[in-house]
Amino acid sequence: MSITSKGPRRDASRGGAPTPQTTESQTGASLPVFVNKTPNRARWNDAKKKGEPFAFLAPVIVLIGVLMVLPIGIVIGYSLFDNVITNKNPELVGVDNYIEVLTNPTFIAATGNTLVFTGASVVAHLVLGLAFAMLLNTNLLGRFSKAIFRTIFVLPWLFTVAIIAVLWRLLLNPSGVVNFLLSGVGLADQGTEWLSSPELALATVTFINIWAGYPFFMISLLAGLQGIPGELYEAATVDGASWWQRFISVTIPQLRPIIISMLLLDLIWTSQQFALIWLTTGGGPINVTEMLSTFTYKLAFSRYEFALASTSAVIILALSGILAFFYVRHQRARD
Amino acid sequence: MRRGAVRFVGMGMAAATLVALAGCSGGGSGDEAGGDVTLEFAQWWEPELPDGALRGLMDQFEEENPGIKVELLSGPYASTKEQLFAGAAAGTMSDVVGLDGAWVNDFSQQGAIADLTKLMADYDYDDSQLASQIQVDGSTYMIPVVNFVYPLFTNDDLLSEAGVAAPPTDRSEFASAAKAITDSTDAAGWALPLSLESPSVIQNNVMSWVWSSGGSMLDDGKPDVDNADVADLVDYIQGLYDDGVVAPGAFTMKEQDMVEEFTNGRVGMMVDSLAHINLIRETNPDLNFSISAIPAVDGYTGERGIPYASWGIGVAESSEHQEEAFKLVEFLMSEDVNAELSTVANAFPGNKNSTPDFEGKDELFSKAFEIYQAGYPANEFTGLPVAEELMRQFDEQFQALLEGNQSTEEMLSKVQDSWSAEF
Amino acid sequence: MTIAKTPPAVMATNEARPLAIRNSPREKKRRWLRVGAVLLLILGAAFAGGPILWMLSSSFKSNTEIFEYPPRLLTENFSLDAYFSILNDPTKVRFFINSYVVSIAVTLLTLFIAILASYAFSRFEFKGKRIINVVIVSVQAVPPITLLIPYFGLVVGFGLYNTYPGLILTYMVFTLPYAIIMMTGYFNTLPRELDEAVRVDGAGSWTALWRILVPIATPGIVSVGIYTFMIAWNEYLFALTLTRTEDMRTVPIGIQLLMGQHSYEWNEMMAMSILGSIPVVLLFLFFQRYFLGGLVSGSVKS
Repeated sequence: MSITSKGPRRDASRGGAPTPQTTESQTGASLPVFVNKTPNRARWNDAKKKGEPFAFLAPVIVLIGVLMVLPIGIVIGYSLFDNVITNKNPELVGVDNYIEVLTNPTFIAATGNTLVFTGASVVAHLVLGLAFAMLLNTNLLGRFSKAIFRTIFVLPWLFTVAIIAVLWRLLLNPSGVVNFLLSGVGLADQGTEWLSSPELALATVTFINIWAGYPFFMISLLAGLQGIPGELYEAATVDGASWWQRFISVTIPQLRPIIISMLLLDLIWTSQQFALIWLTTGGGPINVTEMLSTFTYKLAFSRYEFALASTSAVIILALSGILAFFYVRHQRARD
Repeated sequence: MRRGAVRFVGMGMAAATLVALAGCSGGGSGDEAGGDVTLEFAQWWEPELPDGALRGLMDQFEEENPGIKVELLSGPYASTKEQLFAGAAAGTMSDVVGLDGAWVNDFSQQGAIADLTKLMADYDYDDSQLASQIQVDGSTYMIPVVNFVYPLFTNDDLLSEAGVAAPPTDRSEFASAAKAITDSTDAAGWALPLSLESPSVIQNNVMSWVWSSGGSMLDDGKPDVDNADVADLVDYIQGLYDDGVVAPGAFTMKEQDMVEEFTNGRVGMMVDSLAHINLIRETNPDLNFSISAIPAVDGYTGERGIPYASWGIGVAESSEHQEEAFKLVEFLMSEDVNAELSTVANAFPGNKNSTPDFEGKDELFSKAFEIYQAGYPANEFTGLPVAEELMRQFDEQFQALLEGNQSTEEMLSKVQDSWSAEF
Repeated sequence: MTIAKTPPAVMATNEARPLAIRNSPREKKRRWLRVGAVLLLILGAAFAGGPILWMLSSSFKSNTEIFEYPPRLLTENFSLDAYFSILNDPTKVRFFINSYVVSIAVTLLTLFIAILASYAFSRFEFKGKRIINVVIVSVQAVPPITLLIPYFGLVVGFGLYNTYPGLILTYMVFTLPYAIIMMTGYFNTLPRELDEAVRVDGAGSWTALWRILVPIATPGIVSVGIYTFMIAWNEYLFALTLTRTEDMRTVPIGIQLLMGQHSYEWNEMMAMSILGSIPVVLLFLFFQRYFLGGLVSGSVKS
């Protein structure tokens, strides 16, 4: 369904733009104001208009360019040499490193684990975050109790990863409190090895990551829910839409831009989650929680193969470059 | 209200910028002041020692060596290696650095740490007083300042509850003691930490059993991990594991976890650093425990290798003050200072002539010193290339073995292959 | 899930409903929904807060009691020693001050720069938009551990090693992509007519951005700000690498320093984390009013 927007619609002209049902906030950029200006003034305005976005972007471009693109460039350079840093005169070896990393069975296993870990985490983050945000956004509770619940729900967010790992190691210790409580109600054996049994470890670290990460979605969605104009719901209610219909046709489309952004960020962040895994399982037992991040770390600081570690980093960069490409294409499709 | 929000942001920006600029001048530099040389000494020891202990020694050094100041740069142990490595790559490595034997080979390959054999010759240092030196290709790169030995800790109450009279001395006794504790008490017989995050547990808790029986995992400096001594041990531990005497959670257990389990009386025996005696006494004064040598193979009568971990010291290759840096090394290795440092660290001295002061110390320390002197310090991983990676490879294959995914033979030949590839 | 049935706008109509309808079947249903919502929220709170409660309880225990079995939430040796030992240690207090300085500066600077950039991305079409966007999105994908060495060299080269600006600029590089992506998302949810209306009145983009968009997007900006703060507050790896002396180090390093080579100071670690989180909780409570709604729908209506 189409919502609000008195602005001129351009969707139709964007042959096959896949998102006709979303808001029209992107449409109608052309400014009729400038049409009747003198040619000179118009040209100046034109130049100014072209330069304007760059003025807004300048600080970001400078910062990211110098402090991020440059080091990444160096890393890409490293990946083309036989070994750097430990080797004083590295030799250019081209794509040899890429072949070595891509054919490494551990790398392939790590990719699989990363996919499972990331996929499950991101989906659970979204579902939990959205559910909690909607619960907290109802008018069923008083202001005060909402404030309390909101605060409790963001708690997992407030702690550095190292302490989250230590805390969960304590809780999940075979003689820790989780086993104590669960065995009390008969849900688990006393002595269940949540982190050190090869069958459970991956699920357990994923669970910890879900716990630690959903507040990001919750907070962002809570903020997003505030931005949905109330009259959309009123209109839908007047049309006799049920709760579910309103959720599907108003809430989700309205939150879509935020959700897409968050999914993208969370995919990238989760796929490089290192400290949590390293400090809980170290990639073990055996290699069931080995991720691309732990694999890369070990190449760098356990084997001192910086060229191979850089190669692995560049491969990860390329993978997320693909993600980024789809994200940007999506953005453009909405324009 | 809206304008208020904008103004709020604006004011905050200004404040933040001011603070940031003020910070520019805040960072001190470690360079000369008034002709003095300032040595940077990067280590993880200061937070491990009683407050002010290391600084006190540095003050003494500064007094004895006018014109040299020492700045202590302390970091968390777990990150020390990365920090040194990054520092070396960027040319900002501290003049004097604390080292672990497992890193020495790699740092020397990187050209980060100086050849101490040369420095000792340059400054006429008599190295016969040093208990050990860690060498790569015949040159010394690290000197162990103090050593932490790893004896067997036994919970005597649990042992007697299980009907075992004395701490086990050989493997059969150990196995039956572990079984007895597991069967007749609430505790597990043995804690075997195998965390892949800190695989030095392989050196301290697994390979140490080979050394204690006079065995070796090397042959002429090359990997020989599929020999009979190691295979026997692997079989032996697998037997214990299958018997269920190993405390749960082994695959992700770290040394720190193991100690907590022992302190709380949940495991009967462990191989652990002497450094923990005080901690155990402090947290559980009622715990009745003793220490003994790591059990050897049945009937073994030879000298026992005692595994140890060290706080080692090295000098940065890039240091502009190598002479002064070496003076600090000399100072830390001198008889009295070394004795003092090992006393506060609950460790054994790196200088042969130093005797730690057991006065007012736990009697277990002098007991341990006897064990130490009766055997020889053994740690075959120090000085090996990518030593930590070797332990990790062993650990991973060992875990797969304990899980029942492979046989001892398969495991050891895999480890042998991957080790050989690293040399 | 049927609890979230009544979105904010309907709330207003509820208030306005005649008294007679209040005891209607609809009202009864509402009461049940309320019970269900509270139950779900309590369940969620146990999931979210349970581990934190355990952290809090551990910070009051001795190191032995943390590992005792069966575990207890409160022990007879309840003590605040861990907190006192942190607050009485000037080095550790300094860690907190450093963390505040760095995190606040990072948050404000990131918000400012990200608002400008997101405005450009949300409201302009220009050459290179896609490529800039792709770069900004994907640079965060490089595992930080591999960037450590080249990045460290760069910071030393710029003379920013062991300074606040070094840390602040570093964190901004990590927080900006996030902030820009999210903020662009928020701006994209706001109808374009809003800022166009101002521009028709003759005002420039700058005015449109700060006078119209920013105030309306406040909930989003606050949420981005809080998260930016958290990223900066909790970062460990670069905080450690880019600082050298104790007077420059931050709270996560302080926590890690309590994890020794041989043993952990469990209770002090927990206490330090709790202490670190209190200001953030307060900050969050303070800014909650921005999440409470009304602002946006109000301005859209007008």
